[in-house]
Amino acid sequence: MAEVKKSVESDNAEDILTKIENKSLKIESLIKQYKFIEAIKTALEGYPPRDERCKSANWIGVHKALMAIKDVEGMLRSLDPQYYDILMKYIYRGLSTGNRTTCDQCLKIHEKLTEKAGFGCILRSLADTVNTV
Amino acid sequence: MAAVAVHQFAQCITCHAWSPDHSMVAFCPNNNEVHIYKLVNDKWEKVHVLQKHDQIVSGIDWSGKSNRIVSVSHDRNSYVWNREGPEWVPTLVILRLNRAALCVRWSPKENKFAVGSGAKTVCVCYYEQENNWWVSKVIRKKHDSSVTSVAWHPNNILLATTSTDGKCRVFSTFIKGVDTRESKTGSSSDPKFGEQIVQLDLSSSWAFGVKWSPSGNTLAYVGHNSMIYFVDDIGPSPLAQNVAFCNLPLRDVLFVSEKMVIGVGFDCNPMVFAADKSGLWSFIRFLGEKKESLSGPKSGSQFSEAFGKLYAQAKHGLSNDTVEPSKIQGAVHDNCINCIALLNKKGSQTKRFSTSVFLFR
Repeated sequence: MAEVKKSVESDNAEDILTKIENKSLKIESLIKQYKFIEAIKTALEGYPPRDERCKSANWIGVHKALMAIKDVEGMLRSLDPQYYDILMKYIYRGLSTGNRTTCDQCLKIHEKLTEKAGFGCILRSLADTVNTV
Repeated sequence: MAAVAVHQFAQCITCHAWSPDHSMVAFCPNNNEVHIYKLVNDKWEKVHVLQKHDQIVSGIDWSGKSNRIVSVSHDRNSYVWNREGPEWVPTLVILRLNRAALCVRWSPKENKFAVGSGAKTVCVCYYEQENNWWVSKVIRKKHDSSVTSVAWHPNNILLATTSTDGKCRVFSTFIKGVDTRESKTGSSSDPKFGEQIVQLDLSSSWAFGVKWSPSGNTLAYVGHNSMIYFVDDIGPSPLAQNVAFCNLPLRDVLFVSEKMVIGVGFDCNPMVFAADKSGLWSFIRFLGEKKESLSGPKSGSQFSEAFGKLYAQAKHGLSNDTVEPSKIQGAVHDNCINCIALLNKKGSQTKRFSTSVFLFR
């Protein structure tokens, strides 16, 4: 019974990986068209996946969208407040990479996002250990 | 609403309770004593010091009608203090705890009181007339972690608890001989002691400060993830509302009316939440004036310096000079607010972790 369940889970993971790949391609095409805000919205859509591989694949797409943003304030103005918490989680993931350019960009977004969403947003991204990115 | 009166009682206050006529206040100044102050000619004077506990007194409640004080402490004991003449006489209540007691509340009829503890249990104590002592019955199995707060439903039987396992639970505390079995009013009244009526798993982080609305229809509690939860229709299918807000987490809440709640916590400023006509709860405003809005890294005294250094890394040190550690203007409290208590029907009072006691109208 456990083996059947495991194979079902890995099938789901394959499905999810395919979806994530499609999402990644969509994000890339949006970036090429200079539609940065659409790109980030696409990136933030949907629940973060459960599986570690899926999370890493998902992060690559989100990272591309984050790095492409030039006008942080404008992006935040047009972003729906319901996405603030998930964006904060991705920013912390970016900060944890330690990569200089990623961290610079993430710090910029973090500053503006904290202005808009407040400390509560940071706390929720820290406190939520169930839906991690 | 603004602070009506400001009083400095001690460096740090752990918990407090008002006397029935609101002329006296009992609190613990972060040690093992309970101090009682009386308002005499517009000045607060220390009238009693109750010394029985060995460690910090973590909870105090003063019953309105029977004029008794119950205190619980980290020393795992609780005392019921009765006024006999000019003195307060303690009666030890054996709780059989192996961890600290964290909070205590008298029931609405004042014939029972509930104690939440770090031993993952809730003790409900009642008075046995024949033996002239307080007996404790323990709700043992349901909590996974410390019980941080307890609140009684107006019907004197249902008890809501919050715990650091993130869940809020409602239990029945029906005790034979103490509570009268009412005829079924249609609400879910399971009269067995310790039976869990409902478990609310809304928060993934610690839960604090649970309170019932005056009618008992709505339950409110806060999570450590800066959210406040409002639950209606406690029963098999409760209706819950999660309200996320922009600030630091709350520690305690108070129902000022059926539709208005005040929350207090780490932001040192009481927050007002209200429900509109359709029953949708939202954050309205802060009680104290905040001259500086939350924009920019200058908000919050401790945070501004830290954020300045954080963002300076991105801006290569350019913004470092402009950020100064600035205090929130107009905020009355300097430190985390631990609990809030109702003073009278029109007003409410908050207490401050570091120095004073404030009255709000």
